[in-house]
Amino acid sequence: MNRRILGLLGLLTSAALVTSLAVVPGAQAAGGTIVVWADETRGPNLQKVMDAKSDWVPGYTIKIVTYSSFDALKAAFDKATGTTGPDVVVAANDWVPTAAKSGKLAPVTLTGSQKAQFNPTQFFDLSYQGKLYGVPVDINNVAMIYNTALVKTAPKKFGDMVDFYKANKSADGLKAGLCIAGGGMSWGAHSVFSALGADAYYMAGGRPNYHKFFNSATFASNVKTYLLGPDGKSNGFFPATDTGCKDNFLAGKVPFAVIGNWEWKDYVAKGFDMNLMPVPSVNAGQNGAMFGSVSGALLTSFADTHGVATGAKSLLTNFFASTAGQVAYQKFEGRPPAAKGAQADASVSAGQKGFGTAASLSGIPQIGAFLNSNAGGASYWDSAPAYWTAVLVNGKNPVVEAKKLAAIWRKNMLVGKSDL
Amino acid sequence: MKKWARTNLWRHVISLGMCAFALFPLYLVILSSFSQTGSLQLTSFAPSAISWRNYKLLFNSPAIPYLTWMKNSLVVAGTVAIVSVIVGGASAFAFSRLKFRGKKLGIQLLLLVQMFPAILAIAAVYVIMERVYRFAPRVGLGTQAGLILVYLGGAMGVNIWLLKGFVDSIPIELDEAAKIDGASPVQTYWLIFVPLATPVLAVVALMSFIGTFNEFILARLFLVDMGNRTIAVGLQAFIAGQYSRNWGPFAAGSILASIPIVIIFLSLQKYIIGGLTAGSVKG
Amino acid sequence: MATVNMLFRGKFALITKLIVLSGISAILVLLIESALAKKEYTIALFLAASLAALCYTYLSARTVPMKFFLPGLLLLFAFVVAPIVYTVVMSNYNYKTGNIISKQEAITQIKGLGVEPDANGTTFDIVVGKTSTGEYAILASDSPNHVYFVSTATKKTDLLPSQVTLNADGVATAAPNFTVVPEAQLAGNEDYAKINFAYADKYFVSVQGLNVGAVFRQSLKYNPASDTVVNLIDGKIYKDNGRGNYANVNDSADILQPGWRATNWFANYGKLFSDPLVRGPLFRVFIWTVAFAFLTVLSSFAFGLLLALTLNKPMRGRRFYRGVLVLPYAIPSVMSILIWGGMFDTEFGAINHLLGTHIAWFQNASFARTAVILVNLWLAFPYFYLISSGALQAIPSELLEAAAIDGANPRQIFKKITLPLLMQILTPLLIASFAFNFNNFNLIFLLTGGGPKDLLGGQIAGATDILISYTYQIAFGSNTQDLGLASSISVIIFFIIAGISLYGLRKSKVLETFG
Repeated sequence: MNRRILGLLGLLTSAALVTSLAVVPGAQAAGGTIVVWADETRGPNLQKVMDAKSDWVPGYTIKIVTYSSFDALKAAFDKATGTTGPDVVVAANDWVPTAAKSGKLAPVTLTGSQKAQFNPTQFFDLSYQGKLYGVPVDINNVAMIYNTALVKTAPKKFGDMVDFYKANKSADGLKAGLCIAGGGMSWGAHSVFSALGADAYYMAGGRPNYHKFFNSATFASNVKTYLLGPDGKSNGFFPATDTGCKDNFLAGKVPFAVIGNWEWKDYVAKGFDMNLMPVPSVNAGQNGAMFGSVSGALLTSFADTHGVATGAKSLLTNFFASTAGQVAYQKFEGRPPAAKGAQADASVSAGQKGFGTAASLSGIPQIGAFLNSNAGGASYWDSAPAYWTAVLVNGKNPVVEAKKLAAIWRKNMLVGKSDL
Repeated sequence: MKKWARTNLWRHVISLGMCAFALFPLYLVILSSFSQTGSLQLTSFAPSAISWRNYKLLFNSPAIPYLTWMKNSLVVAGTVAIVSVIVGGASAFAFSRLKFRGKKLGIQLLLLVQMFPAILAIAAVYVIMERVYRFAPRVGLGTQAGLILVYLGGAMGVNIWLLKGFVDSIPIELDEAAKIDGASPVQTYWLIFVPLATPVLAVVALMSFIGTFNEFILARLFLVDMGNRTIAVGLQAFIAGQYSRNWGPFAAGSILASIPIVIIFLSLQKYIIGGLTAGSVKG
Repeated sequence: MATVNMLFRGKFALITKLIVLSGISAILVLLIESALAKKEYTIALFLAASLAALCYTYLSARTVPMKFFLPGLLLLFAFVVAPIVYTVVMSNYNYKTGNIISKQEAITQIKGLGVEPDANGTTFDIVVGKTSTGEYAILASDSPNHVYFVSTATKKTDLLPSQVTLNADGVATAAPNFTVVPEAQLAGNEDYAKINFAYADKYFVSVQGLNVGAVFRQSLKYNPASDTVVNLIDGKIYKDNGRGNYANVNDSADILQPGWRATNWFANYGKLFSDPLVRGPLFRVFIWTVAFAFLTVLSSFAFGLLLALTLNKPMRGRRFYRGVLVLPYAIPSVMSILIWGGMFDTEFGAINHLLGTHIAWFQNASFARTAVILVNLWLAFPYFYLISSGALQAIPSELLEAAAIDGANPRQIFKKITLPLLMQILTPLLIASFAFNFNNFNLIFLLTGGGPKDLLGGQIAGATDILISYTYQIAFGSNTQDLGLASSISVIIFFIIAGISLYGLRKSKVLETFG
């Protein structure tokens, strides 16, 4: 019995070895391949650019990997390690602080002329503890549009919009006065927060001002005046969520909407006559500040593991941060490019330029080190929509909630300072 | 008439009421799939205009490889269903019919292991498959083969347990007769048990199929390439976008994806009820 | 029968078996080879053990039960048991945002980050090449200032503009004693980029792209002997603080990033009970988890049973009802949950439209909880209907007839006979369903995401968060992630579920059959 088993084992082993020799061991990725991860809109567009011109970095092959959604990209990057992780990831700037802290990113150094292509505040977004981890690719910002068929003159101050809403609510069957169509109730709504007196932080001389914070009493009193009715409930001017805003605006049921620059073409396609402007502040002549943030192409620490760090750095400078690269890419993507040379290029559309102008009127950098911090109990991203819900939906006291909000933001900023 | 009302009217009232409850969301999805706007809104209960835009989008848009997703789902869920039933069936048979040391302990361990919340072991599974990817890129992270293996592992516990219930219900006299005829356990398994249990195996396979078809957390993490995704991952992306939710194509895609499952389900209903009572919970 | 028997006996069977086994062994041997080549020893060991077990089991006549178990066992071990063990291990680590990578990787990165540029942030255009001795070198140009030099790891040679060949941009492309390495060759091997090319004093030129070099000096130095990091500029010393970071010996709050995952033994479990920020929400979530699982089973069972009783007798349209009523169960739940989410929308949702209300369903704790239970009722009542009607049919009709003859009225029959018998059959299923809903992640994650939560009031867990969704949020949440803490909660959930299920099994006496 045992001899039979031994014999069979021998037979098997030899069969196995013969087969294994016949099959070529699993092919490994060739050296010099730079892997770029992107989300569902950027990925396919980057692929188109690479299909048209592949030699952005001589000697290297560039492979674009597209995730099904921005969330999926984030979920995968959170779990990525040296083996499967990308060399470059095209991501939101606010990933930088946590990813850098966790050792997933590697610093890049730009030459003077490369730096000169960008507005210095754009580097805030991509820095952690004084080191730069990527290059700005495109500008993400919002602007307010108004339906010129309904609104004949541009509002000068916030109150003008509220008055318009109250006056025409029933005649035009308005569902709201101003709503957020793009960017959500935290990021997209910052210009409304700011117009009413609650800025996430203030800038002074290109640096964050650590001594000035928003006054919760002023903000709360503005919320009461403009957004709440005499009964303390929402007067319907400003909905607490962004659901349906776009459809309602396009249906002519909302006169003012804050939209993202990436969706401008959807509105243009509808053939509307619309004007683009910042959200006017409660004081005439001032505007609510909006985040003029950038998406970055971030260099990962995995690139070094894969032996392509130098190539990946060159991809960032030769393609992602270059005028030629940004023009080629934005031809498909249609967002305002971040590089000055690309912004000046003739192929950039009026919409892209209009958003650029709106951003320069009242843009503040998006500083992940403050906004992502949980030090005050919640991040900016979570606490901002919570305020709208608490006050506009659940009818909580705007003063009390504003105090809490102010405390959270203040703490987040003061703690986040050390990460900048 | 009066008697009919007393005995059957209330039955119809309750049944119709519950049918309305069951059908309401489905009706709404069908409505949205034919609507022009991208949102899941209800303005009236009757369709104002029927538009095939969303359906056309699924089949014509190069950015939405709907048929490929569907095929992927069928391949992944089909493989998992068939293999897990074959492998699980064998173990279930052994647990039910063979005598060996440590049987009780084995089944208790199996039960215990299967209770671990799988979703939380995701990080660990990810790390393991990433390491596999290092030396075997074809079965590691990012491949359907790898995902199938992970699903198979996860399906084992439940399937063995479920199938054991079925095997227990097959009269033992049959295999004892076979034993007297000199059949080995392996022969008993293939010649007696498998033919008898085919309907039951089919039902368990179907349940695995539906469960796998539904899974999206792991699939989302594993399947990156557009052409690799399953239908759940592909469709979920429509309404999980960073900036917008697109209900129209989602509704159309969901309806088309549900049809085959619903048909199989309804035609095998009789067996499924038997399967459920034998001790399963929908996963 | 005889021909079929042939398949399982004799030479034919043996040969088939050998061919299949050889094929599988070949694949496994191949995998083991490549695993060893990539230094994945644990996996190679597992594969080798699997191979040995496969050969032994299917070639020996002594291992009959194993012949049935082995494939399932191997799969179970690789993808269920191993991850569980890994999770238990993780629960004893400080493993969170900032402490993700290994210590070795962290040290490499601290060294890489521990450089600082010179005061002007000087950069050069460079060309990579080799000297005549075959050593890597760079030819650097500062064209505006007409500064050119060739530098190796050890030596910098200044060159006059007349000594180099310039291109149109004024960048040197050739120099004496310097051979350019073609770009294609550089792409295959980036070893040259790890060299610090000599510059001046402590400063060196580091490659920052194919054509860019920047001037740096080392600011942090790792000392392997004492396992400390020294700041060369201000002299601060950083020591391993035992929790996964190098911390300043004089100021424990001053730590170097990134950190690494370090064992902290039972600290995560301790945190669950001692840290009020963790303990408070956890307890609240636990209560809701139990309430949710209980209410959802109760409501779905009540509706399912009612339907089963309603449709238990032959009546017109029964087949139709049955077909319609199981639809919610047949439709892929991922899709139906998402659709319900859309239906509960405040502005446009069908529910508000139907009720004529304007309720913000997911913004209010009670409404959100109601919605969760209602949606789960929709999803689950067909299941309970199916099992209840199955169980009703399993009750022997003689029993009911006998009772009727004895003069019991239908209500009494139901209360005294049908219901107790039904419960006896269904109790294990109800308990299993309770355990399933205890962990019903998809429902919560896709419907409410665990919300709403009073963030401004400092709440971390949402009103509809159940243990598993709360844990998922801790482990994979968007801003910060704490895998160590989440793993420890997972282990606790595991014990709770195991307890419930074992209780259920004992109740159903299912374990006794193995006696």
